[in-house]
Amino acid sequence: MIEHIELEKCTGCGVCDIVCPADVIHMEPAPDVKPVPGLRLTNLLPVIRFREHCVTCFNCEIFCPERIVDVHPSVKNRPRPW
Amino acid sequence: MEFNGLHTRTDILIVGAGAGGLLAALSAKRNGPRGTRVTLVDSWMIGRTGHSAFSNAWTIVALPDDDIDGIMREIVAGNDGIADQVLVRQTLIDSYDRLRDFEAIGMTFPRNEDGSYARRPTRGLDLARVMHPDGGGLEFCWHLRRALENEGVELIDRLFVTGLMRDDDGRVTGAVGINSRTGEFRVISAKATIVSTNAITFRSGFVRDITGTGTLLAYRAGATLRNAEFSYVRPGTPKFYFEGITFAIQEGAHWINAKGEQFMRSYDPDWGDQADVPTIARAMAQEKQKGNVPLYLDMSPIPEGMRDYFIRSKVKWMDYFFRKLGDEAKTDMFGKTPYYALNQMTKMGVRTGPDCRSDVPGLLVAGLAQAGAANHFAGFHIGLCVGNGWIAGRSAVEDLDSARAPAPDLRAVQALHDETLRPLKPNAQAESDRILRDLQQIMFAYDVGILKRGDRLEQALVKVTALAQQFEAVAAPHVHELVRLKETEAMLLAARLILGASLYRTESRLSHFREDYEKRNDADWLCWVDVTDADNAPVFSKTPIPLPYCGVDAVPKGGPRRLRGQSSGAGAETSDLGVPGV
Repeated sequence: MIEHIELEKCTGCGVCDIVCPADVIHMEPAPDVKPVPGLRLTNLLPVIRFREHCVTCFNCEIFCPERIVDVHPSVKNRPRPW
Repeated sequence: MEFNGLHTRTDILIVGAGAGGLLAALSAKRNGPRGTRVTLVDSWMIGRTGHSAFSNAWTIVALPDDDIDGIMREIVAGNDGIADQVLVRQTLIDSYDRLRDFEAIGMTFPRNEDGSYARRPTRGLDLARVMHPDGGGLEFCWHLRRALENEGVELIDRLFVTGLMRDDDGRVTGAVGINSRTGEFRVISAKATIVSTNAITFRSGFVRDITGTGTLLAYRAGATLRNAEFSYVRPGTPKFYFEGITFAIQEGAHWINAKGEQFMRSYDPDWGDQADVPTIARAMAQEKQKGNVPLYLDMSPIPEGMRDYFIRSKVKWMDYFFRKLGDEAKTDMFGKTPYYALNQMTKMGVRTGPDCRSDVPGLLVAGLAQAGAANHFAGFHIGLCVGNGWIAGRSAVEDLDSARAPAPDLRAVQALHDETLRPLKPNAQAESDRILRDLQQIMFAYDVGILKRGDRLEQALVKVTALAQQFEAVAAPHVHELVRLKETEAMLLAARLILGASLYRTESRLSHFREDYEKRNDADWLCWVDVTDADNAPVFSKTPIPLPYCGVDAVPKGGPRRLRGQSSGAGAETSDLGVPGV
């Protein structure tokens, strides 16, 4: 399951969001940037919006060009039949 | 409800971009006349999602000197007869041409020192050989995406299809869906539509984003579904997914129960631990029934020097997985971690002819959404998808001449739009996960999903029906949840069809085991079980399986005994006896 993205090193390229097959990561405006009235900010940063639905496929970590995404290999929501 | 969105017109629409959909798109473009418009859509990013992308992409390829009819016979035997022999044979015949196609778009395949392809046998098949592209499934799918871009196929990422459009004659005329992030509504009119969305799953397999909703959309559009009583149940563990159990067993691993007994010997005296996957799954469930759990895969006989081989993989995500787990992976894998039999995916697909045309005009089916076989053979999942994808694309092209350019029926589109977006309510609670957990609990129970019996199936059906009624009131606060809600809705319908088909087939065959009908009964049941919707009620029927090329038992099931107990040699990638993970 995805654990962490080092936002201070993130360039905002959005690859982690694009390659996620479970809609877990969303690119959203950085919270510390003051919006300019009348202009929509295009600099976005990844937010782990639906961590509980991560399928631990590692796509975000594999394809991050900055290598700043950390996925933990433990599959926490794996169903058990008994 | 206010109606607005995007409208795209195309000739051939393909829904789902796993191996089947990617090949269908390539085939449609290459077999179609110049100017044929081909559109491929997927809920997520084409080339980076789908069952194939997260696999090794092992695939059966019959080289020119291989015995194609022999391979077909052993696949038929291994399926207990549940296979479309014409389609299976054509898939094998075409497989070498597809290999050449793959190489022409830049894929490479491991080779031996003498330059021949490095191929391996797969569990239960003697003659068949499988191979995988360098880089596994991610490279396989990415190369195909790039090839489709170069060929001028329109690729639409993040379109979650929610309904198939039909005209007054019942012909499928395209699909509607929403952007899986923004919820923007989109209509795609098409002369031919190919559904290639995998078989339905209950979010349990190693790729839990795969839900296979397209088969249920086809069912609602009038298509007949087939093989609902079969499933792919395989040994699983609580913490990791291990591709390579078969290989481990060949290297000396044994199944043992809580008493330390090698229990497979009593269930299959001939094959023991090397029995096929449905037999092992059934034995595990029976051990559970006897109170002999937890069950383990005793890996202690495997030499220390070979252990690293098991934690390397062609699948990139598994490579990350084991590398990051480090010592913990070795402790779990080679120590004592419990195993159980877990349902990975169903085998329910759409009934088509060997040309991949469904019973509904304008609707074709490819990939595991098509009910070509109910098998569990590593290499023949993708092998079949490659084969039927190509055939579906070619058939769609053949249909273009007779198909008129569809104009969307606005009333029908409005109805589909409203049905799609009705559950979206900003203040609602996201509840589909809770419903899914309850559904998994019912369907994965060992004495329902594996050891079936009439009364227990009936009870499960009552529970699922009650759950489905409860689900009717569930809403979604955002688009993310709306997609999951639609998937769960399809799973609830699939569960009822699976239980119904399991009740209907009163014999045991392949992965379908009835305690109250323990024997395989070819006299009455060498048939497919088909299910069709009649006014929101499933109607089950039998279709005798044609046997144009061979009988069911033309070769012994499970492969020749000479393979038993032989070692593949430490990490021997090119060994002819190594077996890919199942």
